[in-house]
Amino acid sequence: MAAVRSARRPRRGGAPVARFVLLGFFLIFVLWPLYWMFNTSVKPSDDYLATPPVWFPTEPTLLHYEVALFTYRGLEGLINSLIISLSATALSALLGTTMAYSLARYNTGGQHLSFWVLSQRFLPPIGIVLPVFLIYRQVGLYDTHVGLIVAYTVFTLPVSVWMMFAYFRGMPRSMEEAALVDGCTRWEAFWRVAVPLAAPGIVAAAVFAFIACWTEFFFALLLTSRTAFTLPTVFRAFIGFQGAQYGEAAALAIVSLVPSIALGVLAQRHLVRGLTLGAVRG
Amino acid sequence: MPQTAAITRMTGAGAPPRLSSFANWADRHFKWLLVAPAVLLILALSIYPLLFSLVVSFINYDFQVPGHAFVGLKNFERVVFDPVARWSLLLTALLSGISVAIEFVLGLAVALAMVRSFPGRGVVMSILIVPLFISPVIVGQAWTLLLQRPFGPTNYILGALLGQEVTIGWLTESPWLYISLVVADVWQWTPFMFVILLAGLTSIPPNLYEAAELDGVNAWQAFWAITVPHLAPMMLLALTFRLLDAIRMFDTIFIMTGGGPGTSTYTASYYLYTVGFTQFHLSQATAGSWLFLIFTALVVTLLVRRLLKVETA
Repeated sequence: MAAVRSARRPRRGGAPVARFVLLGFFLIFVLWPLYWMFNTSVKPSDDYLATPPVWFPTEPTLLHYEVALFTYRGLEGLINSLIISLSATALSALLGTTMAYSLARYNTGGQHLSFWVLSQRFLPPIGIVLPVFLIYRQVGLYDTHVGLIVAYTVFTLPVSVWMMFAYFRGMPRSMEEAALVDGCTRWEAFWRVAVPLAAPGIVAAAVFAFIACWTEFFFALLLTSRTAFTLPTVFRAFIGFQGAQYGEAAALAIVSLVPSIALGVLAQRHLVRGLTLGAVRG
Repeated sequence: MPQTAAITRMTGAGAPPRLSSFANWADRHFKWLLVAPAVLLILALSIYPLLFSLVVSFINYDFQVPGHAFVGLKNFERVVFDPVARWSLLLTALLSGISVAIEFVLGLAVALAMVRSFPGRGVVMSILIVPLFISPVIVGQAWTLLLQRPFGPTNYILGALLGQEVTIGWLTESPWLYISLVVADVWQWTPFMFVILLAGLTSIPPNLYEAAELDGVNAWQAFWAITVPHLAPMMLLALTFRLLDAIRMFDTIFIMTGGGPGTSTYTASYYLYTVGFTQFHLSQATAGSWLFLIFTALVVTLLVRRLLKVETA
């Protein structure tokens, strides 16, 4: 009897009721702002000041989406964001993978080099962006796509390098060694053998680099203005209007969060590695 | 002749491949060639700018004052003796400390609630991690939509719950605007804590709990005797990573309060941004950013040293 009772008792996490109440409240807390944003984005402007608030818009409209994308140049921002994020992601994945391979297989530069790269992750962006702004203005990279692509590549490199570093160290060397014995050069062993084997890890690292670029605001705010502006910086236009542009802001937010959430949820198996730069295997 | 080919391959095996002199050189320096592009890029866009900013902070580089004269420590003095700078540093420490503490406790509670399987756990998991993939700008925007008077529904909901009218200026009145900023940060980053702590919880061997239960240990004692010590390295890792990001707090403030009213919601990053980019005192801003960098480095060294100590213990 006693054994049966104790087997039913939860081992971890407290009483079941308390667990589900906590989870329920937390789910509401997470979903509520997202729902309200969606609600605002399809609500006619006349409903904004209604009391009680309009919980379910009865006459949904897509007008705010149209205004946000075309009048507020949201579409341009979206295209810029795509160009810049995709290019920076590709560069970051390529350079990160090559560097990580060298660190993992040849222990290049010992611990110093790998920790130096890691330390870049923790530099406060304000310390970098001020001088980069001055340098970019001098060399003509200010407010260009190339400028922001280069900045984003550097800013995502620590994550790419460390995620791939952990991935290569978890991969057996035997295939590459066999390739070397068979007469491959080291480059061929890397490019033809190790890279295809590491493809899932590279994709995961690229997804996190893309999300980081897609959601980045600070660099984009200070290094671009009217040409290479990205989607998050378009939100500047909605500040200080005391509500008049809320539908547009909400609509643009909904457009912008779809790609990164879709990618993130698809890659959630790798989330722990992504968040801890490969330090923890999820 | 397939046979001859096989023989040449066999004799070739183990011997170094024949290469041109360039390819030979490249093969010998292979490991350095692989790291070179990434290292050069980091040097060009991170180390060089940092050194450049160190130079700028000792000269006059101000869009309002002509010339680039050497001014010694004057720029640093201006920051150190600016009450707004000290306030912003204090606020950064308070806001990030409070936010991270709440995120940690809440994240741990949710992780404990999620550790055992139940129907629908996969869906709940996918929903809980969504805030991690949203731009902080949009998080700020979403909370502005909820809180801004008179448009946001928050005061109405609170009024209905409490049975009396609520007229709080969530984004304009102290202390509510600090609470709003903390809530937005907690909304976005509690999942970060939760995901890492959950990974730590699932790696604790369940037989430890079974053994404890046979010994008559209750759940609360088991939590302190088993869960906490096993989870400690993960806790420190999550806290370190999160704290180092929290002290950069800028985006939500930019959208939600714009640093105001007055300078009451200036964080260190926001202060340096206004000094550099709205007042164009670039030298003062770079001097301040170096001071901030040194503070950050101190925090990193302290926390990472603790982290290493726990992992080797």
